[in-house]
Amino acid sequence: MTTLDEDLRRAAAAAPGKEALVVDGGARRISFAELDAAAGALAARLHALGVECGERVVLLLPNGAEAAIAIYGTLRAGAAFVPLNPTIKADKLAYVLRDCAAAAVVTDAALEPIAREACAQAPSVRHVLVAPDELAAEPAGAGRALSAPPVSVDLAAIVYTSGSTGRPKGVTLSHANMTFAAGSIVTYLEMGPDDRVLCVVPLSFDYGLYQLLMCVRVGATLVLERGFAFPGRVLELLARERVTGFPGVPTIFQLLTAAGGGDSAIRELPCLRFLTNTAAALAPATIDALRAAFPSARLYSMYGLTECKRVAWLPPAQLDARPDSVGIPIPGTEAWIEGDDGRRVPPGEVGELIVRGAHVMQGYWNDPEATAERLRPGRWPWERVLATGDLFRADEEGFLSFVGRRDDIIKSRGEKVAPREVEAVLHALDGVRTAAVIGAPDRLLGEAIVAYVVPCEGAELRPAALRRACAERLEDYMVPARVELREALPTTPNGKIDRRALAEQAAFAEAVR
Amino acid sequence: MGETEQVGTGLRAELRAYVEEAFLYLHPDVELRDEDEFLALGIVDSLGFVELVEEVQSRYGIAVDALEITEENFGSIDALVAFVERRR
Repeated sequence: MTTLDEDLRRAAAAAPGKEALVVDGGARRISFAELDAAAGALAARLHALGVECGERVVLLLPNGAEAAIAIYGTLRAGAAFVPLNPTIKADKLAYVLRDCAAAAVVTDAALEPIAREACAQAPSVRHVLVAPDELAAEPAGAGRALSAPPVSVDLAAIVYTSGSTGRPKGVTLSHANMTFAAGSIVTYLEMGPDDRVLCVVPLSFDYGLYQLLMCVRVGATLVLERGFAFPGRVLELLARERVTGFPGVPTIFQLLTAAGGGDSAIRELPCLRFLTNTAAALAPATIDALRAAFPSARLYSMYGLTECKRVAWLPPAQLDARPDSVGIPIPGTEAWIEGDDGRRVPPGEVGELIVRGAHVMQGYWNDPEATAERLRPGRWPWERVLATGDLFRADEEGFLSFVGRRDDIIKSRGEKVAPREVEAVLHALDGVRTAAVIGAPDRLLGEAIVAYVVPCEGAELRPAALRRACAERLEDYMVPARVELREALPTTPNGKIDRRALAEQAAFAEAVR
Repeated sequence: MGETEQVGTGLRAELRAYVEEAFLYLHPDVELRDEDEFLALGIVDSLGFVELVEEVQSRYGIAVDALEITEENFGSIDALVAFVERRR
C-alpha cells in the first residue's frame, strides 16, 4: 500500500462495520465504511469545486470526526492536507495560507470568522468549507474518478512547525514518508486491528495525527477526544472504551497521575496494553506513578521531530536499565551521531543526531535555505539525510540519549515554541522597549515560557495586560506563563541579550517558588 | 444550580473572583455566567484546570482524586460551587 488513502480503502473493505472512530465521549461511533464514504463525499465536493490534485487544503478543526473526514477526503481528492492548531490567530493563519498557496480551507462554525478574516489576506484560497454541513458532496458532484490518482512520491501533507527564525516552517511529507513512518511505528508497538487507541493530543500535532493514520493503517479503533482537560473523564474513557493504547506527553502523564489523591490506585484497566511518551523525558517519579497506576501497560519512551516523524524508541524492557535513553532507531531506519567535523563520534561523546530512512521529509515548503540546513547529502547520489539539530550521545550498545538543542527553541507542553515569535509580538506592543523570551524548567510544562520585558520610559505596563495581548495574537501554547518587568536585560560582552543569564534567573525563581 | 444562591453566598463570590483573576482577564470580551462551561468558552485549558484544582485543594482543604477532575465537578462556576459545598 503506497498512499494513505489506500490504507483507508483497505480497512473499509476488510471490516466495513468495524468502529473506526469513537468521538464525543462515546456518543458518536463511525465505522470504517462510514469514514470511507464520508471521505469519498468530501473528495467529490472538492472536485466539484475545482480543487486539483496536488493543491493544498488547510484544515482548521478541533479533534473530531470532521477532522478525520477532512484529512482522508482531501487525500482522496488527490490534494495535500495542512493541519493547523485551532487556536491559531488570523494573522498567522493568513501567513500559512499564503505560504502554502492553499486552495481551500476546511473549518467549523466556531472557527469560521478567523478563517474568513485570514482568507481575505490570502488570494489563493478559493473556497471555505464549514463542517459538518459542507463536507458532503452535492449530488451532481459525486462519483468522478481521479484521472491520475496520487502515487507514493506525491505530496500528502505539509505540517507546520516553529522555526528558530520565528516563522513557521512547512515540513513537506510524501505519501511514502507517512506510510513508511506509520508502518514502522505500528511494528514496534505491535498494533493490530484489536487495538483501541485514545487520542487526546491535537491532530494538528504530528503525534496526534499519526494516531489516526496508524489506527486506519492496521484497522484499529481511534477514540478521539477534543483535548485533555479533565483527567477524570480520560480515566473513565480508558475504562469504558476498553482502550488498549494511550499516547501522551509528560504534562499529560503528570496530570493523570499526580492530581489529588495521587498514588491511590486509579482503577482496574486490564485492557490497557501500552502507553507512549514523546516530546520530552518523563521524570522518574512519573514513571513510577504510571507503573503503579497502570500495571498492565508497557511504557514506551520515544523521541522524534516533525521532519521525520519519529527517530527512536526504547523497548519497554530496557526502561529500568536505561531510564534516560530514548532507545534505538525505529524499524527500517538508521541514526548516528556526528561531531562538528562530520565524522561519527565514539560511544559516550556528544554530537548532532543524524537520521536516515524513508521517513525523512522532502524539505521545507518554499524554503530551500532552511532545507539545505537540515537535509544533507547521504550515502547515495539521490539520498538526503536529516541533521536533527539536536545533541545526543550513544552508549556502547547504541542506545541514544538526548543532551540538548542547538537552537533556542522552547519545548512547552510538548510543543515547540520559537522565542523570536513571542518576542516579535511583545515588541510590537505600545510601551515595550525590548523583550526577551526564554524557557524555564517547569514541573508540569517541561519548560515554561517566561518573558522579560523592559518598558519604554514613562510607559505603564502590567504583566497581566501583556499576557492578554499575547493571548490575542498567539496560539494558546505560545502565551508566556509569566511576564516579568525589568529596567534592563543582562547583556553579553558583545552587547547581545544574555539569554543564559536570564534562563539561570528563571530557573532559580522556579526553584524557590 | 439554584437561582436562590446566585448572589450573596461567600463561596460563590470567592470562586468567581478567583476565576476572574486567574483566567478571565485573558478574555476581556467574554461575559461569563455561572452556568457557562469554561472549556466550551475556551477560558480554561487543561493546564488551567490543574491550577483550578490546586486552588480548590489548598483553599478549601479538599483532597481531589484524579477521577473527580471532571466537567461535572470543575467545568463551570456552578459545578465548582456544588463540588466544594459537597466536599468541604
